[in-house]
This record gives sequence, C-alpha cells and structure tokens, in this order.
Amino acid sequence: MGDKARPTGELMPGTLDMLILKTLTRGALHGYGIAQHIQRASDDVLRVEEGALYPALHRLEVRGWLRAEWGTSEHNRRAKFYRLSVLGRRELARESDYWDRVASAVTRVMQAT
Amino acid sequence: MRGLHDLIGVWRRLAALIRRRRIARDIDDELAFHLAMRRADLAQDGAADPDRAARQQFGNVALLRDRTRDMWTFPSVESIVQDARFAVRTLIKAPGFTLVAAFALAVGIGANTAIFSLVDAVLVRGLPYADADRLVVLIGNVRRQTVERRGGSFPDYLDWRDQAASYEAMAAYTGSTTTVTSGSGDAERITIEAVSAPYFDVLGVAAGAGRTFRRDEDAVEGRDAVVVLGHGLWQRRFGGDAGVIGRTITLGTQPYEVVGVMPAGFTGLTDQAELWVPFTMSSLSGYALAQRGNRGLQVIARLRPGVTTDQAAAEMASISARLEAEYPDTNEARGVEVAPLPALTFGQIQPAVLALMVAVAFVLLIACANVANLLIGRSELRQKEIAVRTALGAGRARLLRQLVTESCVLAVIGAGLGLALASVALNLLVASTPLTLPTYVHPGLSLRVLAFTTGVALACGLLLGVAPALHARGGRISEALKDSARGSSGAAAQRLRGVLVVVEVSLAVILLVGAGMMIRTVSNLSAIDPGYDIERVLTLNVSVPRQQPAADAAPDGPPPPFVTPPRDLIARLEALPGVTAASLSSDYPLSGNSSAVFYAAEGDDTTAAGTRPRAYVHRVTPGFFETLGIPLEQGRPFLESELTPDAIAVIVSAGVVQRFWPGQNAVGKRVKLGSLAAATPWLSIVGVVPEVRFRGLPENPTSDPDLYFPYVDRGVQAVMVRTAVPPESVTALVSAEIRLESPDIVVYDVSTMATLVDAQTAQQRFTTWLMGVFAGVALLLSIVGIYGVMSYLVAQRSREFGIRLALGAGRAGIIRLVLAHGARLIAVGLAIGTVAAVGLSRLLEALVFRVTVADASAAGAVALLALVAIAACLAPALRATRVEPVVALRND
Repeated sequence: MGDKARPTGELMPGTLDMLILKTLTRGALHGYGIAQHIQRASDDVLRVEEGALYPALHRLEVRGWLRAEWGTSEHNRRAKFYRLSVLGRRELARESDYWDRVASAVTRVMQAT
Repeated sequence: MRGLHDLIGVWRRLAALIRRRRIARDIDDELAFHLAMRRADLAQDGAADPDRAARQQFGNVALLRDRTRDMWTFPSVESIVQDARFAVRTLIKAPGFTLVAAFALAVGIGANTAIFSLVDAVLVRGLPYADADRLVVLIGNVRRQTVERRGGSFPDYLDWRDQAASYEAMAAYTGSTTTVTSGSGDAERITIEAVSAPYFDVLGVAAGAGRTFRRDEDAVEGRDAVVVLGHGLWQRRFGGDAGVIGRTITLGTQPYEVVGVMPAGFTGLTDQAELWVPFTMSSLSGYALAQRGNRGLQVIARLRPGVTTDQAAAEMASISARLEAEYPDTNEARGVEVAPLPALTFGQIQPAVLALMVAVAFVLLIACANVANLLIGRSELRQKEIAVRTALGAGRARLLRQLVTESCVLAVIGAGLGLALASVALNLLVASTPLTLPTYVHPGLSLRVLAFTTGVALACGLLLGVAPALHARGGRISEALKDSARGSSGAAAQRLRGVLVVVEVSLAVILLVGAGMMIRTVSNLSAIDPGYDIERVLTLNVSVPRQQPAADAAPDGPPPPFVTPPRDLIARLEALPGVTAASLSSDYPLSGNSSAVFYAAEGDDTTAAGTRPRAYVHRVTPGFFETLGIPLEQGRPFLESELTPDAIAVIVSAGVVQRFWPGQNAVGKRVKLGSLAAATPWLSIVGVVPEVRFRGLPENPTSDPDLYFPYVDRGVQAVMVRTAVPPESVTALVSAEIRLESPDIVVYDVSTMATLVDAQTAQQRFTTWLMGVFAGVALLLSIVGIYGVMSYLVAQRSREFGIRLALGAGRAGIIRLVLAHGARLIAVGLAIGTVAAVGLSRLLEALVFRVTVADASAAGAVALLALVAIAACLAPALRATRVEPVVALRND
C-alpha cells in the first residue's frame, strides 16, 4: 500500500492528499495541472514530486475520494482528468478542519515566548 | 465513516484484479502525458535539452510506475507475513488475553469442526456409490387409512423392470441370514442378501476379485448355486485366499460355488451383508417367488440421466394402474413410491445433524462475542500505541489491516486448538453415539472439514478485527493522545459492549430452550409404556440346524429332526441360576422381524384393500406373555398341548376385539387367515392381550393388531429370558447352555429389551446429549461475557460511584444501579432470544415428542438464564460499593 509513498522534503506528511483535494475543488484537472497549480498557488514554495503525486492520486481514486476519466487536454492530447467525489469533498472538509487546528496550535506554540 | 472508504478500497482493488492490463496501460499513458507536458514547458522556457531535463526531473519512471500500480493491488505475501509476525509478537506480550481468547475460539471452532465432520460424512459425502443421486428405492405401497409402505413381490418386480423406461437398471434384493460352516472357525450365522443379477450394476460396484452375477443367473429358480463373498467374510473364514474363487462352500446344508469377492467396505444396501446369492436361490431367503401378493422385497433402481423422480413416479403410477386392472386380487389399491436412496438413508439423521449445526454456530457466535469484548478492552488500552503509530504516519487502512491480521492470527491459533479438540471430541462422539451410523460413514477431519474450519477461522478473524476498528473509528489522533492516559472510552464503545451482552444472552436463550425441549422429549419418550416390561429381559436369536439326512432317506420324505429340539431349551434355560422365565417365539418386540398377514373374522366380509383386516403374526410358547410381563385381558395363555402345527387356538390383541366384538368377551370367537372364503381352518380365540408397541416406539408404524399363534419348532427362533439379575450377566451362561448339545447351534443378535427400546430413541438421546453440552458451554461463555462487560462498566463508572458514595449514597443504591443496568441488557437479550427460539423451534420439529416451545422447559430455560446472568452482575455490583471515594477521585 501507499503509505511508504509519502511526499518527502517540501511537504509535511499527510498534507499532499489535502492539497490535491483542495486543488480539485476548482474543477477537473490532470496530474500535471495539479502539480503546477500547487506550485503556483504556493508561490513556488511547495513543489510536488511526480514520485509522490501519482501514487497519491491513485490511492485517492482507489478510496473513492476522486473520480477519474480520460479526456482531451488543452494541447489536444489524451489526458486523465481527476474530479472530486462527494466523499472526497467531505474528506477535504475534515482534513482542512484538522489542519487549521494543528496549524494554529503550532503557530501559537512558536509565537509563545 | 472511515469504514466506508476502506470497503470501497477493497472493492476497487478486487475489481482491478480483472482489469490489470488496462490499469497498467492507463498509468503508462498518464505518465507519458506528464512527461510530454513537462518537456513542452521546458522547451518554452528555452531549455537546451528539454527532453533530457524533463526525464531528469521525473526520476525513475519504472519505479514510479510500480509504486502507482501498487495502489491498485493488495498487499504482497511478504507484507502479510510481516504483519502476522508482528501480530504474534503482540499476542505473546499479552499471554493472559491470548490464552483466554484462543481458548474461547477453540471451543467454538472445535465444536463446529466436530459437528461439521458429521455433516460432511452424512450429508455431503453420503452414500459410497457413484452418482448416488440417481439411485431410487421403489417401495410398493397400499392405500389404507394412510398410504402404507410395504415392499415388492417378485412378479411385480419383473413387471416393473420390463415395463418401465425411466431406469438404466433395476434390481430386487432382500436381507436374510444363513449359517456358514465352510472355512475356518465355528459355524457362524451371517447376514446375506439375496439379489437379482443387476444388483451390483445398479449400485455401480464391481467385484474385487472374480465376478458378480451374470444376467442369466437369476432366471431359473433354484438353478444357479453361486455366491459372491464379502471382503470381511473372505478374510475371516478363508484367510483372504484368492483360490477360494471356484471352490464350493456350504451354506446351511447346500453347496454353493464361489464366483467372486466384493471389495472391502461393500456391505450391500442392508449395510450388513457378508455374502450374496442370486434371488432365485430362494431356499436361502425362504421366499416364495411366484406369489404376487408376497411383498417382502426391496427394489432398487438407477434412474436414467435426466429423468426426475417425479417422472419416474408418474410412470410407476401408470404401471401400477395396469397391474391393478390385470391382477385385482393382489394389486388392488397398490402403488409404488419412488424414493431417492440418499434421502431414505439419511432422512432420519438429517434433522438432528442440522439442528446441532445451528447450535454449534450459536456457540461460536457467543465465543466470538466474548473475544470481541476482550479485543475492545485491549484496543482501549492500546489507544495510545495506535495514536502514536498514526502520528508517525501509519495509514488508517494499515492500522485496520494490523488489527484484522492480529485477530486472524488469534482465530488461527483458536482453530488449531479447535482442531485438536474436535478430533478428540469426534472420536468420543463416534465411540459413544447411540446412533447407528452406516458402516461407510466415517466422520473425520477430511480436507473438506479442514477447509471449512479454515474458512470459519478466517471469518471469525475478520469479524473480530472489525470490532475494535468499529470502536476506534470515532477517535482522531489528537483525541486519543489527549485522553488515552485514563483509557476511558466513548458512549459508542459502551453501546457496543451492551450489544455484545444482548447478543450473548439471546443466543444462549435459544440454545437453552432447544436443549430444554430435547430433554423434555427424552423424558416423554422414556415415560412411554410400551405395554411390556423392558427391565431384565435378555433377547437373542438361535439357529438350530437339522441333523444330516440319513443316506437312504427318500428325497421327499419328512425333514430330518433338529440336532436338538428347540422347545427343550426352555426347561433347560429356566433351570439356570438367575433366570426366572424363558420363552421361544418367531420374533420379539422391536426386533424388526415381524411380518403381517390378512385375516378375516367370522361374520365380517371386508375385502377392500384399504380396510381389509391385517395383522402381525407371531408364534409364541405359553411363557411368552409372562416373560414380557404382558397381562392377559381375557382368556388364558396357550397350553403346552396346543404347541402343534395344526392347533386351532389363537390369542389376539385388543385391537381385534375392538374392531369386531367391541365390549364383548371375545374368547370363543373365530378368525381365519386369508379371506373369509379361504380354505384355511377357523381359529378359536383363547385369550386377549393388550395392544403393545411391538414394532416401534413411540408408536407402531401402522395400527394393525397382533395375532399370536402357538409356537412350533423351527430352525431359527427368538429366545427371551427374564432374569432376577442384570440380564447381561447371564449372557455367557445362556449361550453356553443353548450350545451345549451341538457346536452347530448358533447364537446371535444377543441384546436386552432395554437396549432395544433405547435404540428406538437413539436419535433423540444423541441430540439431547449434544444440545445439552452446547447449551451448557453457551451458558458458561455468556456468563463470562456478562461478567466481563459488567466489571468493565463498573470500572468505567468507579469515579461516579465514588462521588455518589462520598455524597452519601447507600451501598444498596449503588448495587441497584449496577444491577439495573445489567438487568436491562439481559432483559432485552431474553426477549430477543425467546422470540428467536420460538421461530427456530421448528428446526426441532422432527425430533421432539409431545413438546412445544411453549412448554415449561422453555420457561425454565429463560428463568435459569435470567437468574445466572443477574448473578454474574452481582460481583461487579458489589465491587462498585467498595470504591474508595478518595481513590476514585484521585484516579485521574
């Protein structure tokens, strides 16, 4: 199973799934587009490695959080597009909720003197 | 709901198994697309070698592809082994828990394995014949008050065989006994089958050596003196010598040529035969072949492929109608039942085995509920560990897998112990069962049984793995880390434990009610008065051969005398110490050797087949009724002077008087055998005895009365001895006395009346015994479970109790609080269980006797369980009152 395929380096463990889910709230997107978006939206702070991205996408698809279908890309190439499922949307809400709490907690700790 | 995702995941991965190529291709395409996009972007940015740069950034494509594909597959064997090893280590670290849980599972799985091997042997493996589902027994029947099963006659059999198109082959057979003197050893009485030639072909069994009968060897009466030996007889008397084929052996006084030996294990359809002769050698079976009305034959046939039992039955109905028109005298109201052989053979034992299978399934469920309860407790203790592992990055699916692996390992350990238990239990069961299982039924741990046990164990493992997972599903890491120190659990876990108690109680109720019904049945059955005294009566059969005829005797002269007059035996037997009475007869109660005749009473001319008077006939010495303790209602026993073949005295049972002379003194009235017009002599009634259960318990199979005739010396007779001491103790003495005058006298079928009666209720006693054991185990397990849950709940609420006590609550109040909690769960369980028991009592319908689920036995079972269950709550309740307020409050 994919638990060993955690993103390394830039991303904190567990956050890639959340970022993917979040990215897809804007609509269907292929893997390359998702990576690009995360990089751009984070002002190039977060870089998604292919080695982590595709196992994660397929793991989420297997779990039923993403739906996938083949379509045509902006350059008229055949590409696999991912969409958020109802279950995925619910999972995203849970994850981001948790993230907010952890992040603010960490921030509080770091700012405490 | 996390569980849902896990389910979806399992399903998707299962579905992916059949689309592997497709998924692999899609991943390749997807990665190629990504590479191409990257290349295009790099080229746009003006990279020198976009192709190379893109691939460099991408890393190891093959590795990525594999890791992506892994998302769609199940964990590899190595990682399962790894998990299992980890699970074993975890279990070893908690030996107490592991032992208790594994033992509970071992009991449940062991009981299931033992009973399933019985199911496997009886209902799955079944008959030892090829395509046994095409074997049918053709049972001649007659429409009387009900349709009564009879048998076939030889002329009927020939007509069925020649006219029916539904069968590949058809054969007639009948069981008999004969004395064999050839080979090594004393003269020996053996069971044989007289069969028509196609018998072996119908069953699909070939000779082990030599041959079976040729088709023409059953054509002419008395011509073909050939025999086929059974394997056991061949080994025992002829040392397994193949040279016996072609040799001549003596049966009774007649020579027969051995033509073949059957393979080991073949005992014929009577399951007792050691030798086979052609049907036409009727001197052995003593059977009058030519008489169409002489219906004592069994007929077996093999259906053609594709022909159903119903089709065959329809054909037999039209054949019967033709025969009825052609032979109205003998075939009026006669039909044929086409009965599948497997159902006929195992129909008796099937209800008991199925009821027991359900019972052990319940025992296992209760055991599982107990173990689930333990696992929940453990997962609470381990919440901290689990939380840490989650924080360190273990996925939920990974954790679930670990939990399921752990419970599966536990279940496998339980199954291992269970198999050991089962093999011991099975041996005990087979050795001690009062059931007479067919000789070819060998319940054992076959491959199928092992597969069943493995399946059951894995099912338990999965079920049990889900329990703690269900319980753990609510908790998030942070929460678990926060309150794991005290190990408290949410309302969900408490509710789950409550459900387990309810399940245990309701299952235990069902088993107890079932056991109660069976116990009542056995006591009802043993309360039946068969009409004779069954204590202290020894029963046996004796075969007394005639002396060799003198060399100059005329071939059709009178038969030579017996080597010793059978009737002399009585005086000699009665002189033995411990013997108070002895009698000779043609048969004795429950021997299965009784036969029926038509008779007519003076002044009654009923001849319609449906209502024609029919009775079972027995030849008895004067002491017969005294030996059996049957009182005379009217008249007197036979006189010694009446023991002649032409005596005209008869003793009838009360049914005869009831029918023809109700309320009158029947002594002096007359009956005759056959119809009113028959040339048989009129017989005068000299005595009347009550109806007794001569042919079966709890009821005779048919309500026909009995006619008793004066005994005349025969070569084979039943002997009964009433004793003042335990009847078994005089067996050797009696046998020796009988065989005193000639070693050619054979004593066989030695038994006691009490044993014969017991055999009639073996089915019920067997089921009762096992049901009782299972119900006891269920009761014990559920008490342990209830005790465990209540103890836990008390521990959970100890702080609350401490506060209550500190605030001045009385101890009685606390006890009431705990008991009320327990009682609520128990009451729900009792209610559900009782309703289910009423529904399931139908499973026992074929087994119980004069018992309904509404009986006091069921109420008793419920009351017993309620009492015991409340008692199990008492100890935890008392513990609750001993909570030290200060300690409880500090315990944070």
